[in-house]
Amino acid sequence: MEVAEKNIPCNSVVGGNFEEVCSEKVIRFKPPLYKQRYQFVRDLVDRHEPKKVADLGCGDTKLLKLLKIYPCIQLLVGVDINEEKLHSNGHHLSPYLGEFVKPRDLDLTVTLYHGSVVERDSRLLGFDLITCIELIEHLNSDDLARFPEVVFGYLSPSMIVISTPNAEFNPLFPTVTLRDADHKFEWSRMEFQTWASRVADSYNYCVEFTGVGTPPAGFEHVGYCTQIGVFRKNSGKLAEPFVSQQHDQHVYKAVYTTSYPSLQQEKVLKFVLVGELLIQVERLRLRHQRMLREQEKELDPKPGDTDFSQAPHLLLGEVFTEAEKARIENSPQPFCEGEKFCIPLRRLLAYPKLHRLCVEEDRMRSLIADSVCLSNDGSAIVVDLHNSWDYWPEDN
Amino acid sequence: MSGRARVRARGIIPGHGAREVGCAPGDLTASSIASPGDSQALSSGTSSISQPPNTGISNDDGGRTFTERGKVRRDVIDLSVCTREKLAHVKDCKAGSSGIPLQLVTNLFSLDLPQDWQLYQYHVTYSPDLASRRLRIALLYSHSKLLDKAKAFDGTILFLSEKLDLKVTELTSETQRGETVTITLTLTTQLSSSSPVCIQFFSVIFRKIFKKLKMYQIGRNFYKPSEPVEIPQYKLSLWPGFAVSVSRFESRLLLNADVSYKVLRNETVLEFMTDLCLRTGMSHFTETCQKQLVGLIVLTRYNNKTYRIDDIDWSVKPTHAFQKRDGSEITYMDYYKQQYNITLSDLNQPVLVSLLKRKRKDSSEPQMVHLVPELCFLTGLSSQATSDFHLMKAVAEETRLSPVGRQQQLARLVDDIQRNQVARLELETWGLHFGSQISLTGRVVPSEKILLQDHTCQPATAADWSKDMRTCKILSSQPLSRWLIVCCNRAENLIEGLMSCLRRVGGPMGFNVGYPKIIKVDEKPAAFLRAIQLHVNPDVQLVMCILPSNPKNYYDSIKKYLSSDCPVPSQCVLTRTLTKQGMMMSVATKIAMQMTCKLGGELWAVEIPLKSLMVAGIDICRDALNKDVVVVGFVASINSRITRWFSRCVLQRTAADIADCLKVCLTGALNKWYKHNHDLPSRIIIYRDGVGDGQLKTVLDYEVPQLLSSVTECSSGASSSRLSVVVVRKRCLLRFFTETGHTVQNPPLGTVVDSEATRAEWYDFYLVSQTANRGTVSPTYYNIIYDDNGLKPDHMQRLTFKLCHLYYNWQGLISVPAPCQYAHKLTFLVAQSIHKEPSLELSDNLFYL
Repeated sequence: MEVAEKNIPCNSVVGGNFEEVCSEKVIRFKPPLYKQRYQFVRDLVDRHEPKKVADLGCGDTKLLKLLKIYPCIQLLVGVDINEEKLHSNGHHLSPYLGEFVKPRDLDLTVTLYHGSVVERDSRLLGFDLITCIELIEHLNSDDLARFPEVVFGYLSPSMIVISTPNAEFNPLFPTVTLRDADHKFEWSRMEFQTWASRVADSYNYCVEFTGVGTPPAGFEHVGYCTQIGVFRKNSGKLAEPFVSQQHDQHVYKAVYTTSYPSLQQEKVLKFVLVGELLIQVERLRLRHQRMLREQEKELDPKPGDTDFSQAPHLLLGEVFTEAEKARIENSPQPFCEGEKFCIPLRRLLAYPKLHRLCVEEDRMRSLIADSVCLSNDGSAIVVDLHNSWDYWPEDN
Repeated sequence: MSGRARVRARGIIPGHGAREVGCAPGDLTASSIASPGDSQALSSGTSSISQPPNTGISNDDGGRTFTERGKVRRDVIDLSVCTREKLAHVKDCKAGSSGIPLQLVTNLFSLDLPQDWQLYQYHVTYSPDLASRRLRIALLYSHSKLLDKAKAFDGTILFLSEKLDLKVTELTSETQRGETVTITLTLTTQLSSSSPVCIQFFSVIFRKIFKKLKMYQIGRNFYKPSEPVEIPQYKLSLWPGFAVSVSRFESRLLLNADVSYKVLRNETVLEFMTDLCLRTGMSHFTETCQKQLVGLIVLTRYNNKTYRIDDIDWSVKPTHAFQKRDGSEITYMDYYKQQYNITLSDLNQPVLVSLLKRKRKDSSEPQMVHLVPELCFLTGLSSQATSDFHLMKAVAEETRLSPVGRQQQLARLVDDIQRNQVARLELETWGLHFGSQISLTGRVVPSEKILLQDHTCQPATAADWSKDMRTCKILSSQPLSRWLIVCCNRAENLIEGLMSCLRRVGGPMGFNVGYPKIIKVDEKPAAFLRAIQLHVNPDVQLVMCILPSNPKNYYDSIKKYLSSDCPVPSQCVLTRTLTKQGMMMSVATKIAMQMTCKLGGELWAVEIPLKSLMVAGIDICRDALNKDVVVVGFVASINSRITRWFSRCVLQRTAADIADCLKVCLTGALNKWYKHNHDLPSRIIIYRDGVGDGQLKTVLDYEVPQLLSSVTECSSGASSSRLSVVVVRKRCLLRFFTETGHTVQNPPLGTVVDSEATRAEWYDFYLVSQTANRGTVSPTYYNIIYDDNGLKPDHMQRLTFKLCHLYYNWQGLISVPAPCQYAHKLTFLVAQSIHKEPSLELSDNLFYL
């Protein structure tokens, strides 16, 4: 965090994700405050590994975009009352092209709903984490009153994060009364904590208070620029998915939805399995070839052959842990049958990149059967030991 | 400067600095029609290098940039070159009339607009001025005055489909902080639907629509990675998609869509490197790696961007730190963990360096990014892969679509657009009506007779007349008496068989083959070359080399020596080819024909009504070893029958693929013509291949004058030859089908289209001169940019068709006029193998066949 004295005209306040700026004194958070808020949520996700996460008041879906990379999350939902924003930002949440080549382990569905956070929609039931970042200060008093019973009472997720401006920090911004024209209020720490504790009590949650945006030296007494309450459900258990058909209540309009390719999908698993398998087979084949070459060389040493002595300081490829090494060494060895090179499936499954796919040998056999050539008993993959990658220009 | 220092000096953040999608070579147009006569056709025909993407318009929904970078799409630039208006004889009508009319379906779709449709362009200013583009856009979009109007705004330029009441409109708006801002909209232009800006604007609309259909833009095309076609044995995925362009054709705005596939390799650059290291061993590793990877396009795992690999920096590791734009330092490893939650597994990998095309505002140096190999996927096919016959066959199996298959894909696309509510709404608000597939009338020109020495044959099919001429005598040939065969000991036993076959096929052809001198050597490239140097003297007519497998080393050194240092025609044959059971007669026929041509013989002719006509072909490509060198091939006919050729190849150092040696080439050809005919040709028609998007003007302004000045100087007072220049394009998005009942088929050979799918600005036509057995045929596009001859369009079209019959390496029609194919073959040999100019002593022979 740094405070700089500068004369910057007061025009860089944009939307919700602004840097607090004023004409005489610039308080510049580093990283910017909005990023700190998002980082706070990311740290929570890292720590608690929620499966289902919803961001209420997701706006331009920036936070969702950051969260979609977490492998633990399988359902990611954004809700906002600005439908246009959801429409125009939806495609930012679609999988990256690279995710079709190296897919995720677990399924992920991202959905954006148009609707108000004070309406009940059963599709948001049973979540592990619901975030309301800089949301409540935009609610009018009626909505604010209904907010706890919907989010805490009805949706009742395992964890809720609520962030809101700390009004005590505002005097450090010279001209600011409210930080945004749409803010209906900005609370002091006392006001927020009182409200939050009351809500937590009524719905059986416990709450801890923290914040982001540390105040400058000498102003520690004003507290964080953004105050945050982290609410956790007291039952201690993760919420059970109790979406029953009877209570289905679909008031939100789904504006955008996308599903990610993942190893949970048979087609994708097959694609990744065969891909990793062939890479490993090729590697073993090349290693075997090289071994044969070296053996030949030992029989017929040629002077000046310095193939391995002057290797640059490079170490490419996987580095195995002791446990992985042991697993590989304890698996059956590849072997040669004439010009054919055979690699037992069990050997292949010992390599970390295949091992992590957690596929049984039998399942593997059936998945790869139409993509590779198997030995008669089906226990090994068979390839030509020498397959020329030389090229053949046509005769001319 | 080390890579690290370089990065620091420029303060570049990997991944972040990059704002644009790089070009994407290896886009596979689904056609992949191999013209069978062309040995390289499979590779060169399938993987087309897409043009780098235009940068004129970006399509972030947050705000589009229309013209602020001042660049216009390259093919749009070409459209501003109006060549037709200068050609008086086709000003009113450029259509031919001969042949049988034929109804054709195209892959063009109507894009109709109301009669008086206009696009209104406004310049927008703010008072007080707002720096943030986002804020500018947000304020304007939320203003009630514009709320229900169709609009597109990039922060400065606003497009509306309806005109505002006043020329200058002032709007007042309030920022979220309560500041009052005055927005002034000034009408700058009214654009008709045919203006280039408008066409770019439509492209933006369609880009948006394709995004809504969950397609991803790579380069200029759109792909659906969610429906991949896998070729696991070659570690390839093919993403189906479309190449799309909106533009104004003859009289109306049309959308042209063709099926395209994106090739993805299912491995990271790191995996590729590891394998390569195992293959090559350490000593050659870095060098080979550099060679194999530089120039390839990668896709990163953490965004949707593609980058070209320009270099590999072996001194930088993921554990090294770089400076972020805010000044703080972070290691690559930590950066990817923090930013993308990605843990790098290999901390010893080097980094890939990519130079971005777009420069930063404050510096003239191109921006550079570092990429981590582990996070990059390879796209497209390597040259290694394209020369792997089995791999290419597997790819072709998947990508080669029959006309029916193609038509189904197109129908699905149209259906998807029309069913998607958002897409439909987008079109409707602008008043665009997207709909029907365009049909038009083409013509099938009459088939040609093949003239042989004492026989004229009307082939059963123009696609292949090898059977028709099996027992016929070729037009002329030199007897082959003084020649050598160089082979290794192992191959010696094959020679007897080859000789007897050559004699058997040579006899009926009229090509007499004497017994060669046989030289046996060790199986080493150096041994072959030494034997050739020792035994070849000016008296030798031809050298045949029988090469073992992995012939590239042999081939290059032999061709280099015999094409340039000691010019003697040469014929290389693979041992493998000579051991094919049951194929010997056809192999021998092909070899005999090639040898005849290399000795200056003529195989067949077609009837050419114009006497004293010279035709020439020009092709251009880059040298394979030195990308700074451009190889220009020029091949011109030197007799009225168009059976003998003058071939010249020039290497030049230029940045652009534009020839500046054409004067000397054409003068050389005219001199040769004069020597043979004691006169100059009264007409010259030149077919120029290898013109990229956006180069049309340069060809017209720079190449045509060279040709003209050669013509003027050679004639010196006498009536000078009349010149026409035709730009030839093998790759175009356009497809034609014939409809029979409920199914579609490829159009017949000789189909000409010169209306509706052509351009009003140009004297142009399409010609189908090749067959596709299983795929969809791709018509060749001809654009006559300069024309003193004033031949009727009918005659121009038919002459072009005739010339497609004259490529002596294939007994059948090919996709381009023969001189273009000869020029291509010549430049390919020089660019791939010889790397220097072949001797002019060989210029009378088709030594490169």
